[in-house]
Amino acid sequence: MSDRAEKTEGRRHGFLPIETNAFDRVFIAVLLFVALHLFWMRFVEAALPLGVATVLSLVLGAIIVMRG
Amino acid sequence: MRSSSVGWLFLAPTLLILFVFGVLPFLYVLVIGFTQWNSFAADPEMRFTGADNFRRLVFDDQFLYSLWLTLKFAFFAVVSEIVLGYFLAQAFMRDFPGKGFFRTIHTLPLVIAPIAVGATWRLLTVPGLGPLPYYLNRWFGYEFNISRYIDQAFFTTVVMDVWHWTPLVTLTLLAALSSLPKEPFEQAQIDGANRFQIFWHITLPLLKPAILATVFIRMMDALRTVDEVWMLTGGGPGAATRYIGLHIWRVVFPKTDYGYGSAMSLITLYLTIVLCWMLYAGLVARRDLKRAD
Repeated sequence: MSDRAEKTEGRRHGFLPIETNAFDRVFIAVLLFVALHLFWMRFVEAALPLGVATVLSLVLGAIIVMRG
Repeated sequence: MRSSSVGWLFLAPTLLILFVFGVLPFLYVLVIGFTQWNSFAADPEMRFTGADNFRRLVFDDQFLYSLWLTLKFAFFAVVSEIVLGYFLAQAFMRDFPGKGFFRTIHTLPLVIAPIAVGATWRLLTVPGLGPLPYYLNRWFGYEFNISRYIDQAFFTTVVMDVWHWTPLVTLTLLAALSSLPKEPFEQAQIDGANRFQIFWHITLPLLKPAILATVFIRMMDALRTVDEVWMLTGGGPGAATRYIGLHIWRVVFPKTDYGYGSAMSLITLYLTIVLCWMLYAGLVARRDLKRAD
């Protein structure tokens, strides 16, 4: 019963240290997206534009959603 | 009618209320967070400014200081409440004379409105009028003045929060302790485990869901505390107790900087979500994974 429930929820164990479903991975990607942008604006934006952070966090988000 | 349709029909009123009073205001604040909108500014119209509010925010020392103070306040308040709440719950599990009376008295702070709690503590601690500074000075020669000393003001706000909210923790943990099965404890006693081992290896793991739920609730509350502290110290002395809720209130209402205030609210919400999620991931998800391995 529990195996079936886990399968229907689509939980899996990727490179993240916890078992996640699709919602968890999107959630983590969004959290990282915001964190990376705030960090970039505070420390890096003087040297590199914010667009770089957007591209980086989108790539990171895609990796987390697919492989996390 | 299919059972799933009936289910959605029953859920519809709740979902509608949640959408109107939860999702819509959030979306509104999200939009305002990316605008410049200040009715006292030279240009009082709402204008889209991209991430400018957030750019200003990460360099705003007052905001960052308020955030740091709030985290410190939440840490001290929540840890004290959980520890004290656990010991009180354990005490209420035993029989002693007047237990019902003490349990009722102990629960009373919960039903008092936060603004009234702040007013009560203000009357208790205000220098020159309150009994606390008077007797501390008379009996111990200790100068207690929350209008002058920042550490005293900070810890008085923590103690006030602990006084107000520990009963909630006690009641939650009391309910959890009452529902624990007896067999593991009896088995551990037969095996010769001491009290600390029983607490560490049996009570604590069994109580974990209740403790986590309580920590989440209290942490979210502590991170958005406003009224009690506003009544007690008004954020002072200086900015010593200007927690993030008070700071946002000052920006949004007296200064009418709605765009910037919304951006600060969003970051506070973000921080609350991140802290709760990290706590969940660190304490529950990882351990469940280890157990599965």
